[in-house]
Amino acid sequence: MNPWIAIGALALVGLLIPLGMMAVSTLLRPTVPEKGKTTTYESGEVPTGSTRIRFNIQYYMVALLFVVFDIETVLIFPWTVIYRRAVSMEGVGLTGALLPMLIFIGVLVVGLGWAWRNGAVRWIRHPDRSQRSVEQ
Amino acid sequence: MFVPLQGQAEPLLPETIGKWLFGSNMAIWQEAIAAFIAAFIVGNIMLAMTGIAGPWAKRKITAAFTDRIAVNRVGPAGLLIIVADAVRLLSKELIVPEEADRPAFDIAPIVVASSALLGFAVIPMGHIFGINLQLADPETGMAYVFAVASIATLGIAMAGYASSNKYSLMGGLRAIAQNIAYEIPLIITAASVVLFTDTLQMSQIVAAQQEPLFTVAGITIPSWFAFVNPFAFILFMVANLAEVGRNPFDIPEAPTEIVAGYQTEYSSVYFVLFYLGEFLHIFLGGAIVATLFLGGPTGPFLPESLNFVWFVIKIWAVFLFTQWARSAVPRVRIDQLIEIGWKGMLVLSFANLVLTAVIVGVML
Repeated sequence: MNPWIAIGALALVGLLIPLGMMAVSTLLRPTVPEKGKTTTYESGEVPTGSTRIRFNIQYYMVALLFVVFDIETVLIFPWTVIYRRAVSMEGVGLTGALLPMLIFIGVLVVGLGWAWRNGAVRWIRHPDRSQRSVEQ
Repeated sequence: MFVPLQGQAEPLLPETIGKWLFGSNMAIWQEAIAAFIAAFIVGNIMLAMTGIAGPWAKRKITAAFTDRIAVNRVGPAGLLIIVADAVRLLSKELIVPEEADRPAFDIAPIVVASSALLGFAVIPMGHIFGINLQLADPETGMAYVFAVASIATLGIAMAGYASSNKYSLMGGLRAIAQNIAYEIPLIITAASVVLFTDTLQMSQIVAAQQEPLFTVAGITIPSWFAFVNPFAFILFMVANLAEVGRNPFDIPEAPTEIVAGYQTEYSSVYFVLFYLGEFLHIFLGGAIVATLFLGGPTGPFLPESLNFVWFVIKIWAVFLFTQWARSAVPRVRIDQLIEIGWKGMLVLSFANLVLTAVIVGVML
C-alpha cells in the first residue's frame, strides 16, 4: 500500500477533529455580543494605536541566517544516509566521504563566525534599558 | 564492516484493517477506507493521551512538584475533571476581537492542532496484541516528521499576526525566532543518528537499535542511540524542549511578560485547539525522541506483541521531563535564548555531527 494514502488519511482526520470540535462548540456555547468584549485586549486599558507596528530588526536578521542553515541541513541529510556506504566503497574511502562535507561545514562555520562578529546573533538592547540593567 | 539492514515487511495498521475488511486484494478506494479507519484510531489514541495529559496529569505533576494536591473533587483522584473541563471549555463564549484578520484568525488554531497530529503518521508505535500500530512507513519518514512538526510555527505566526494584539504580535515573533534558532540544532543532531542507520525510514531506525551494545553484570544494554551517543541525546532533548516551547524556553507565551503571547485573544474552542496542539506537539517530540534515541517501542519484560505499552511509557517519560523542566527551571530572556541557540546549540550540534561522522568512519 502506498504510505501516502495513510498519511493523507491522517491529514483528513487531523482536519476533521478540530472542525468537529468547533461544530460541537457552536451548538453548546452562548453568544452574547457586546461592544466591550470585542475590543483588543490591552491589560484592561483603552487600546492605543495600531498593531501594525515596527518591530525589532533582530527578528529579521536571525530569520535570514536561518534560511542559509536550513538549506544546508537539506544538503546534509542525503550525505548522512549514504555516508557509511560511501566509506566502505572502493575508491571513495573515509577521506573521500568525509572531506567534502568537512569543507562544506567549514565554510558555513566561517559564515556563522562572520555573523557572530557582526552582531547578527547578538540581541542588542534598547539604549534606555542599559542604565537600569540588573546585570553587574 | 558495513552491513545493510534487512527490511522486514511487517504489515502496517491500514493493511491489517484492510485485510480484515476486504481481503488481501484491495481496490484503491478500499485502501483509502482502511487507511481512514487506521488514521482515525491513531488520531484518537493520541487525542486520548492529550486528554489525560492536559487537564489532569499536567496539574497533578505540577502540584506534586510544588507540594500541592491539585484536582481531587470530581471523580476518583479528580480524573473526571477531564470531562468537566472539556464541557466547560467547549461551552464558553467565543469572543473574536473586531480588529482580527478573520480567515487567518480562524485557521491558525486548526493549523496548530492538525499539524501536530500529522507527525504521528510515521511513528512506529509498537504492537497491541500483535497488531502493528504504525500508520505509514515511507522511506523519507524522518524528514517528513520534522517537516510537519515545524508547520505548527506557521500557525502560531498566523495567530500572532491575525489577532491584532500587541502581546500576540510579540508572542508570534518570539515563537518564530525561537523555533528557527532551535530547529537547526534539532535536525543536525537527528542527522547524526542517521549516520548509524543509513536510512530515514522510521521502522529501520528502530531496527538498527536492537543490537546488544555491551553486557554489564548479566544485563544486556541494547544499542539505543541514547547509549551509543549520549551527547546527541542531551542536545536533542534541549532542542526539543525549545521546539515545544516549554520552560526554560517558554518565551512565546511568557505569562508574566506578554500575558499569554500568541494565545491572548483566543477563547473557547479556539483556545482548546491551541492547547491540544501544544500537548500533541509535546507528545510528538516525545515520540521522535523515543524513536531516534530510546529504541522506539522496544523494551524488556513485555512480549513484542504488547510493546505499545513501552512506547506509551517512553513518551510519557519525555512528557514528565518537560513538566519537570517547567516546574524547576526559570525562563530565559529573549537575548539569552538567541545566544544559547545560535552560539551554543548550533556550534555543539555541528561538533557532534562531525565527531560522530569521524568516529563512525574510522570504526567502520
